[in-house]
Amino acid sequence: MLILSRRPEQSVHLGDHIKITVLGVEGDRVKLGIQAPAEIVVLRNELFQQVQSANSAAATTVRPSPTAIAALLRGKHPADSKSGAPVL
Amino acid sequence: MQSSRPLAANLPPAQVDSCIYFPAGLVGCSTWKRFVLLSDAEEDLPVAALQCLDERGVTFMVTDPVVVSSEYEAPLSAGDRAELGLDDETKPVVYCTLTVGDGGELTANLLGPLVINPTTRKGKQLVLADSGYSACHPVGNMGAE
Repeated sequence: MLILSRRPEQSVHLGDHIKITVLGVEGDRVKLGIQAPAEIVVLRNELFQQVQSANSAAATTVRPSPTAIAALLRGKHPADSKSGAPVL
Repeated sequence: MQSSRPLAANLPPAQVDSCIYFPAGLVGCSTWKRFVLLSDAEEDLPVAALQCLDERGVTFMVTDPVVVSSEYEAPLSAGDRAELGLDDETKPVVYCTLTVGDGGELTANLLGPLVINPTTRKGKQLVLADSGYSACHPVGNMGAE
């Protein structure tokens, strides 16, 4: 891992299009400003890991019976038991 | 709410089987790009399987997140819409993945929905930061039914 020391208001460039600026340091919190093209997804690591873990878990889950899942889902909306089928 | 239709009823079978493409892959799984939606049009089920063509053994069970949480919304930024090639009239199709835990508990990933342009079949996984949605929203227990 590359390790750099920066002071508030100093920046780091990642390639030509991404700039990260240290805006301030308050106690144990560092405030970062990130300038990046719209197609670059910027996420807090916690959120990234939550979605990544959910993807792995959903992909490797024992393949459940669609009928059993459907029964559970419909149980949530008994009055409207047939709705909710996503149509693509 | 969608009307009562099976997942794939609106499309002819050949189109149902055609590929859904996530150019950037999924979050943390960037090589999982191409998927096919497997749905039994004979049976009216609110779930379908999304099978990955890039990684053997990767198949998601998916549903409409509105079934899980009736007020659910996945807001798209202008950048998201442009990436997916969505014009103003086209509503994206939104799926959430489902996981069955070791104890049979069924959870839905409402934090990271899969958003798909139904015309081009191009997709993207969003992460709804600050939405309060969970990546493992409890739905119920498979053993309890």
